[in-house]
Amino acid sequence: MSTLGDLTPVAPSNVPLDAALAALRDVLEDVDYPTVRRWRAGGGRVVGHFQVYFPEEIAHAAGLLPLKIHGAPIEPRQAEARFGSYLCSIVKTSLELALSGHVELDLFVTHPICDAARNLAAVWGRNVAYPCEILYLPQNANSAQAVDYLRHEYDRLRRLIEQIAGRAVTDDDLRASIGVFNENRRLLRELYAIRRDRPWLLAADEAWVLMAIGGAIPREEHNALLGALLPQIEERPARPQDRLRVVFEGGFCEQPPLDLLRTIAQSCYVVDDDLLIGLRWITADVSAKGDPLRDLAHAYLEHSAYSPVQHDLRKPKERMLLERIRSSGAGAAIVTAAKMCEPGLEEQVAYSRALDDAGVPYFVSEFEENMTSFEHLQIQLETFVENVLFA
Amino acid sequence: MTFTAGIDVGSTYTKAAILGDDARIAGRAMLKTGFKLADAARRAYDAALAGAGIREADVAYLIATGYGRHQVTFADVYVTDLTAAARGATLLYPGTRTILDVGGQTMKATRVDALSKVRSFRLNDKCAAGTGAFLEKTARYMGYGTEEIGPLAAMSKTPATISGVCAVFAESEVINHLSQGTSPSDIMQGAIESLVDRSIQLMRRVQLEPEYTLVGGILRFESMGRLLSARLGAAVNLPAPDLVQFVGALGAARLGRQRAAQMKRAGTLA
Repeated sequence: MSTLGDLTPVAPSNVPLDAALAALRDVLEDVDYPTVRRWRAGGGRVVGHFQVYFPEEIAHAAGLLPLKIHGAPIEPRQAEARFGSYLCSIVKTSLELALSGHVELDLFVTHPICDAARNLAAVWGRNVAYPCEILYLPQNANSAQAVDYLRHEYDRLRRLIEQIAGRAVTDDDLRASIGVFNENRRLLRELYAIRRDRPWLLAADEAWVLMAIGGAIPREEHNALLGALLPQIEERPARPQDRLRVVFEGGFCEQPPLDLLRTIAQSCYVVDDDLLIGLRWITADVSAKGDPLRDLAHAYLEHSAYSPVQHDLRKPKERMLLERIRSSGAGAAIVTAAKMCEPGLEEQVAYSRALDDAGVPYFVSEFEENMTSFEHLQIQLETFVENVLFA
Repeated sequence: MTFTAGIDVGSTYTKAAILGDDARIAGRAMLKTGFKLADAARRAYDAALAGAGIREADVAYLIATGYGRHQVTFADVYVTDLTAAARGATLLYPGTRTILDVGGQTMKATRVDALSKVRSFRLNDKCAAGTGAFLEKTARYMGYGTEEIGPLAAMSKTPATISGVCAVFAESEVINHLSQGTSPSDIMQGAIESLVDRSIQLMRRVQLEPEYTLVGGILRFESMGRLLSARLGAAVNLPAPDLVQFVGALGAARLGRQRAAQMKRAGTLA
């Protein structure tokens, strides 16, 4: 049984960093979702939201636990009967969590990032008793009506969530939640600043654990956890090495297995990435003074990261990748995509061309969340690194 | 003087080598790897530093290679065995184009270009078939130690035919030969010939081309080099027995010289 309760929120500063990372990893790899069970045991309700972005503040403001659904280390035996073999793994393993009863939700929300995800809510909904909804984020982020449209959509979500919570969600509730999430965003920016400025202090897989756990626990607990562990990371007695600094691109939806990230971390410093980008989607503080739903909608459109599933002419993905490389001081990129991920694989073409034009070395690969063999990847990656370092 | 160092943490032995400005070997050391890889690397490095008469702070750049390279947390960077062996082989024999590296647990064939860059490589399968482990186990089944393999094989008059190179199945084949009265020296030499056949196959898969350089612990058995040369129909470069296991460490130290020079030019060398 995992022991997250020992880590947060009571006395996280007393837990040594390495022990905390090990415990958090155990929690994240436990497909019985101990944090959700703990929450439910206390009478709490849960909103599961599929990748990539979801305005968690709205669920939080209603007193619900927003749970990020990003696949799982599980064999999708029942889900295989619902989805074709030509589809990515994450939709199947996520659905399997529900079909097998590993995770119990009160509401499931997806948004149409691709055909598979668009159908996920309907397939999910036919197999469970709780409501399953699609949140329609704006297809055209450049429209003058986009903020109004999205605010309306968020309001629809608020009313839906109010029914689940059995109470009203006021603007003050929303503002309070925005404050909690602003603090979370600040702490995550701090986490990524460490990776950018002193990457030897925190490996890519460790950073992923620290970030991912935020999608499975109350955000106040995540804030307390990061607040306690970040100073410990700063004091880690690690020695800088002459490793290649890379940006990892391709983790916006399906997540690579931790062992893959560890394999990469053995030969590179991953100084920035798009892993679980939805948790860092909004890049600046959201105003907590005006109409909170409008403020959230505005932030989604105007102060946000990028991914292959958001179409915004102001943010051409290849240009954004080059900017990510530049701002993180990376010397190369690892351009990956989940197997069968159409948006991700399509973007590799534009990425490759832009990287070629910019003279940035890059390594292209595919992954699957449940892959278990990394030897070939390791030797290919190390050979790539050697070619760059010893050019 | 600027020193650079390479540590090759192999599955059986850990080797450390230090190069000076003139690319000459300033110090080196080798010891059994055992189960504590980081500890073995530290001890080998300390011994090499002592041999060179320098302090750790005098080393501008340290590269770790080999099976246990990632355990060497005090290294500046890690490189694969393939790259390290390639640079080591061309340090000793600049005309090298194909390298065969037979170690305790692995066998690797590599083809390099005129700049010592790896162009093609093949590794043995996951098991220890066709590696030093196969020879060690064959010797052990007959009651001999690893260091007796060379002298034992040298006494062979009619090498036995060993059909495979599987370290596990070798036992039954050795017992079978012994029961038929085959001498241990003929069995040992037969095992070496079997290993040579497999080596040639691996070299062919990288489209071998001369010059050939043979490295790795198993090449310290004299008959390996002689047999490979005969099967290839060409001369082979074979480092001296006391150097043949250091090629990876030397290659790593050589790469360290290159990287240190790059960083010095860029003003980033600490």
